[in-house]
Amino acid sequence: MDAEKIKSALADITAEQDPTIKSLKMASLCSALWAEHGVELVVVGGSAIEILTEGAYASGDLDMCHVNKATLPIRERQEIMGLLGAKGGPRNWQVAGMFVDVLGPAESFAHTPYRRVQGPYGEVQVMKAEDLLVERVLVSVYPGKNPAARECARELAVVALVGAVNMNWSEVLRVANLPEYRNVNECKPS
Amino acid sequence: MNLKLKVPSIPIEGSISYEDWLKGRRYRRELSKLVAPGVIRRKSSSSDRRLKKLFNGERGLPFTPTEKL
Repeated sequence: MDAEKIKSALADITAEQDPTIKSLKMASLCSALWAEHGVELVVVGGSAIEILTEGAYASGDLDMCHVNKATLPIRERQEIMGLLGAKGGPRNWQVAGMFVDVLGPAESFAHTPYRRVQGPYGEVQVMKAEDLLVERVLVSVYPGKNPAARECARELAVVALVGAVNMNWSEVLRVANLPEYRNVNECKPS
Repeated sequence: MNLKLKVPSIPIEGSISYEDWLKGRRYRRELSKLVAPGVIRRKSSSSDRRLKKLFNGERGLPFTPTEKL
């Protein structure tokens, strides 16, 4: 991506006042730049759920992980994010009026693909809805009751039940049955 | 459920275009708010300090109202 395109993208993202669009655009730009260096990024956590549900849940930071086993060396990360005028690092940066965190390798257990949105600067990979649902249900119960996580899980479930986000329910069940989660009962409607 | 969808869905295989994703925002918000009305953003987290500094005491930008999506 050439410097002019980056400059134009940054101006667009900086001016963007809708938090979900801002996150998606930033994920699109970061994904494109990191991909040029061989690293695939995926949006995770609350930011991913927000892209799938519009649930008014996410805060002003965009959490991403790398799909590849290895991430970039610190120096290269700083150089890439430096192209965006980012401050901070080497795992979280302030850029274009928001925060971007690149947390490490993505944890995914579902056999479905990452969801994909064609963002304005390149494709955005979003954590699998099956993983997100089972994980959010777990967080809603353990280590203690977490009402915000429960509401978030309910939002993802209803959006998926209606089909606005396609969900592989067999995979939800399989993932919830894994030793990593063991929360099938909590995933069932109450 | 067997409801006729009003908007393009986010697929398992393949991708959704940016335009289709934008088109579906309002419907997804309306569905979400059936089970969790209002803003359900966490009240606090370990990122509070940096977030509140950047967002004038809030934890992020305000969400666009449903009717404007």
